[in-house]
Formats: sequence, structure tokens, C-alpha cells
Amino acid sequence: MAAPELGYDEVNRWVLQTLAPPGRRYWVSVATLGAVVVAGITAWTYQIYTGLGVTGLRQPNMWATYITNFVFWVGIAHSGTLISAILLLFRTRWRTPVYRAAETMTVFAVMTAGLFPLIHLGRSWFFYWLLPYPNERWLQPNFRSPLVWDALAVSTYFIVSWVFLLMGLIPDIAAARDAAAGWRRTFYRACALGWQGSDDQWRHFSAAYLLLAGLATPLVISVHSVVSWDFAMAQLPGWHSTIFAPYFVAGAIFSGCALVLTLLIPLRRLMGLEAAITPWHLDNLAKVILLMSLVVSYAYLTEALIAWYSGNPFERTTFAMRYWGPYGWLAWLMVFCNCIAPLPLFSPRARRSMVVLFVISIVINIGMWTERFVIIAGSLATNFMPSQWAFYKPTWVEITITAASFAWFLMWFTLFSKFLPIVSMTEVKEGIPWQRQAIAQARREAA
Amino acid sequence: MNGALLVTGFFTDEAGCARGVAALRSAGFGKPYVFAPFASEAILAALGGARSPVRLWVLLGGLVGCASGFALAIGLSAEYPHVTAGMPIVSIPPFVIIAFELTILCSALSGLLGFLVHGRFPRFDPLPGYSQLFSNDRFGVVIDCTAGESERADALLSGAGAVEVTTSVSSRTQGDDTSEEE
Repeated sequence: MAAPELGYDEVNRWVLQTLAPPGRRYWVSVATLGAVVVAGITAWTYQIYTGLGVTGLRQPNMWATYITNFVFWVGIAHSGTLISAILLLFRTRWRTPVYRAAETMTVFAVMTAGLFPLIHLGRSWFFYWLLPYPNERWLQPNFRSPLVWDALAVSTYFIVSWVFLLMGLIPDIAAARDAAAGWRRTFYRACALGWQGSDDQWRHFSAAYLLLAGLATPLVISVHSVVSWDFAMAQLPGWHSTIFAPYFVAGAIFSGCALVLTLLIPLRRLMGLEAAITPWHLDNLAKVILLMSLVVSYAYLTEALIAWYSGNPFERTTFAMRYWGPYGWLAWLMVFCNCIAPLPLFSPRARRSMVVLFVISIVINIGMWTERFVIIAGSLATNFMPSQWAFYKPTWVEITITAASFAWFLMWFTLFSKFLPIVSMTEVKEGIPWQRQAIAQARREAA
Repeated sequence: MNGALLVTGFFTDEAGCARGVAALRSAGFGKPYVFAPFASEAILAALGGARSPVRLWVLLGGLVGCASGFALAIGLSAEYPHVTAGMPIVSIPPFVIIAFELTILCSALSGLLGFLVHGRFPRFDPLPGYSQLFSNDRFGVVIDCTAGESERADALLSGAGAVEVTTSVSSRTQGDDTSEEE
């Protein structure tokens, strides 16, 4: 037990000081991220004007970087809901100061993910054809298609995540309202909806929040399973496998938890939240990452074993080409980043070292992005017909849009963290009585 | 709350606040308002009261969502069929996914609506006795009473561990602010 003893007023003070007017360095960061986003918008505009031919997408690789980004960002989103909703149901103590940042990551990651089907459409203005609406073309969506399931699943996840985040924010915004002045007070007053923390309000809030957490839990499992079925429902070797749903969900939690670490470690330093987000909290998050790394490693082995054991020549060839073909270096990079690099997390010293955690978290996300690319573009490159085989390379348009998506995500996260409480004051305070008991118990045992 | 005075006890911890509530209720006072910086099971237990009806909103929303999902998928598939290689037009396994997602979506939105309705949000007037300390590090127990009862209420709250007890004039009747009946 390493968390320091906090008082209720200290929690408010520490979190509310993060909402102080930002300095020049903050606005320079936001402007830099904004500039990268503008570059991405420019590239997208060029693509719309000229056509999808400006990308590297050619037969048979008609899904590549954009879909990789889509799956990557949807995966990132899942960890936020795991930490905020699923761990709430388990009454996990270490989640309280970190879950708000994780849930914020979720909503902005889903926003980022949602851009990519639009970008990938080429003629993005036709996106609404996926939705059931009255029309004169005698056509409605094919509900047997995974793409339609995807549209509904990701939209549902987007809406439910926002509802969950905003509902949880209300009591904290009320605290910010009571401490603020000027335009900020007006802004927080409007957002707080008149919350005053009365017993009735807490009664309804607790019921609604717990039920939302219970609803978000199956959503986490289902949404990324549905996304994985975009691939598993096809016949393509390397895609058509029943392992895909748990494989993708495990990978999603793995990459998302890693990105939570990537965000939290600089956040706690830059915003003076070291006392609220302690090495103990990050240690527990690192344990989850280590567990998911082992699951993902097992999934890689299982996939390869089943491909060989099946005797199916197409499946065997696809896996041989995955690890020893032109994309082989990417596959081994994936194995290193996801299976080998997280192994130091077995050491408690490594799990409490900010530098080690930060580096490993970035390596994991490189590995998980690579994994999606290897699965998507790698499998398409080596389909049933060797005469069709071709190996995809991204163009500057796709690289720029990919970089812009990261900047877009970071820009929204940065803006949020300075204007709304990035640590949940109410839940940290809820944990204080337990914390005091735990410290007293530890002292009694030590004495 | 229709008394002439509001007696407010300020507590530094949830246990003291719960004691204050229990003391008032066992002394025959009506149901007090309690303000807290976080949800406390001890305080809600001391207050008693019915469970939140928000759960019924969630259930209803889920049932509507599930029925709508199946109705949408089956209805549109039957009316506008995609004829593909003899596969069934109305195919329940993939439609389960549509129904499941709509169940979750409608449950969540319905739960949010229930929370807003039962919490009477948005609210633009402060509840009687509210102090900005209650969003920081204080718990508040507010009881509406007559002038003759205020000293007794003061003594009960102080005895329960209140660090401060204030008495103020109740400025208006609280018809629509009354807590839900047990």
C-alpha cells in the first residue's frame, strides 16, 4: 500500500489547480497539434478531390492503413471503458484517480476511429447509405453484413461512452463551479445542470451510473468482437478464424491500457498530480498490461499452430508469408513489441519506474498498430490466387492522415484536461475512508 | 419543508453525518436534506427511502431497444430483401447483433433520461441550506423545523459530531423540492 493519505479538501485543491488558466507552452502545444490536424485535413481534401487512387490501395489490398487506424483506435477506446466501467463493477480501488483520463481517452479514440470509415469511403458524403432511412431506391442496409453491424456497434459505443463520461463528470463540474469565477463559473454552472450533491441526487446518480457501467461492460466485449468480424466473416486466409473476437478484444485492452499509461505519466508530471496518481496505481495498470501481453502472445501462438495443424495449404501459406514474406520484418517487430518488450513488467521495480513504463507503453502501441496492419494488409496481400499477390505501401496521403489522427486525438485530450477535471474528485474522496483504514491496518501490522 | 427555520449541521466525515441523520430521525424530526461531496452508502442507509426508479427506466429502454432492433432488421429485410445465393432473408443470428446494440443504446439513453427526470435536472435554484463547502470537504444535514424545535435540532447535530451548526430563516416553501416519500 503506497498511496499517501489524502484529505477531502486536498483532493479538490489538487484537481482544481489543473483547471487554472494555461500558460504559453500549453497553447503552443495545442497549436502544434492543430497544425498537424490541418495538414491531415489538407491531405484528405486532396484525396476527395483527386480520388482514392492517391493512396496505395490497389487490388488485392483494398483495406490497409485506414482500416488499420480504424481498428487501432476502436481498440484503444476499449481500455477506457474497461477501467471506468468494468473495474467499477469489481469495486477496484486503484481505478479511482485514473479512470476519468481513461474514459476521456475512450470518447476521443472513438471519435478518431469514426473518422476512418468516412475517409476510407472516398466519397464520404455517401456514409448515410449504411443507415436505415426512407428512400426511393428500394434499398435498405443488409443487416447480415458485418459492416452494418459495425456502423451500429461503433455508433452505440460512441453515444454510450459520452453518456457515461458526461454523467460521471457532473458532480466534479459542480465542484469546479463552486470554486470558479468569471466565465468559467458560468460555463461550469451550465454544465453542472444545478447539481448540489443532495441525497436524492446521489441516490439517482449512483443507480444510473452503476447501471450504465453494467451496460458498458457487454458493450466493450461486443463492439470489438463486431469489429473483428469485419475480417472473420470473410473467407480470406489469415482472417477467417473463430479466434478473432477474443483475440481482438484482448489486443484492444492491451493497447488501450498502454496508451492510458502513455497519457498518464506525462499528465501527472505536467499537472502536478503525482500525489493523486501514484506509482501504486500505475503498478496495477502495468499488471493488467502484462496479463494482456501474455494473452496476446498466446493468441499469436494459437493462430500459427492452428494454421499449421489444419493442413489447409492456403492458411499455412498465409502464415508463412506473414512471418517470412515481404512483411516479415513487420510481423517480427509486432512479436517483439507485444510479446518480448512487456516482459520486464514482471519486475516490481520496472512496474514502478515511470521511464520504463512510458517506454514500454509506446513500444506496445507501435506493436499493436503493426499487428493490425500485418493482419489486414498482410493477409490481403497473399490471398487465394498467387497471381494476384501484391504488396501495399502507404503514400504520403495515408501517412499524413495517420499522423493527423494521432494529433487530433491528442489535441482533444489536451483541451479536455485543461478545462474539465481529468481526475475524479468524487471517487477519489469516496476511497479516502478505505485508504485511511488500509494505512492504519498496515501500521498495526508493521508495529 | 414548510417550517420557519433551517438548521444546518456541517460534518467532516460521512460517519458523523450518518449519526446526525439517525439522531434527528429517532428524535421524531422529519426527513432531512443531506448534502455530500460523494455518494455515501452509510448516509443513504441512515436516510432510508425507496430505491431509485431509474433502474425501471433502464429496463424499459432495454425492452424497447431489443424489440425495435429485431423489428427494424426483420421488417426492413422482409420488405427490401437482399437476395444472395439462397441465404435466408430473415436470418436471426446476425439480427441478434442489431437487437443487442439497440438494447444497450436505448437502455443507456433511457437511464440518462430517468436520471435527469428524477433528479429534476436542470435545476437553476439552489436547494435550501446548500453551501459550496458541500462540494469540497463537508457533509451537510439540513432540517426544516419550527423556532421551538431548532435548539433541540442544534443539540442533536452537535452531539452527533457537527463541527458547526447554523440556523437560518427558511425563505420559501419547498413544494417541488421535497424529497421523495418512503
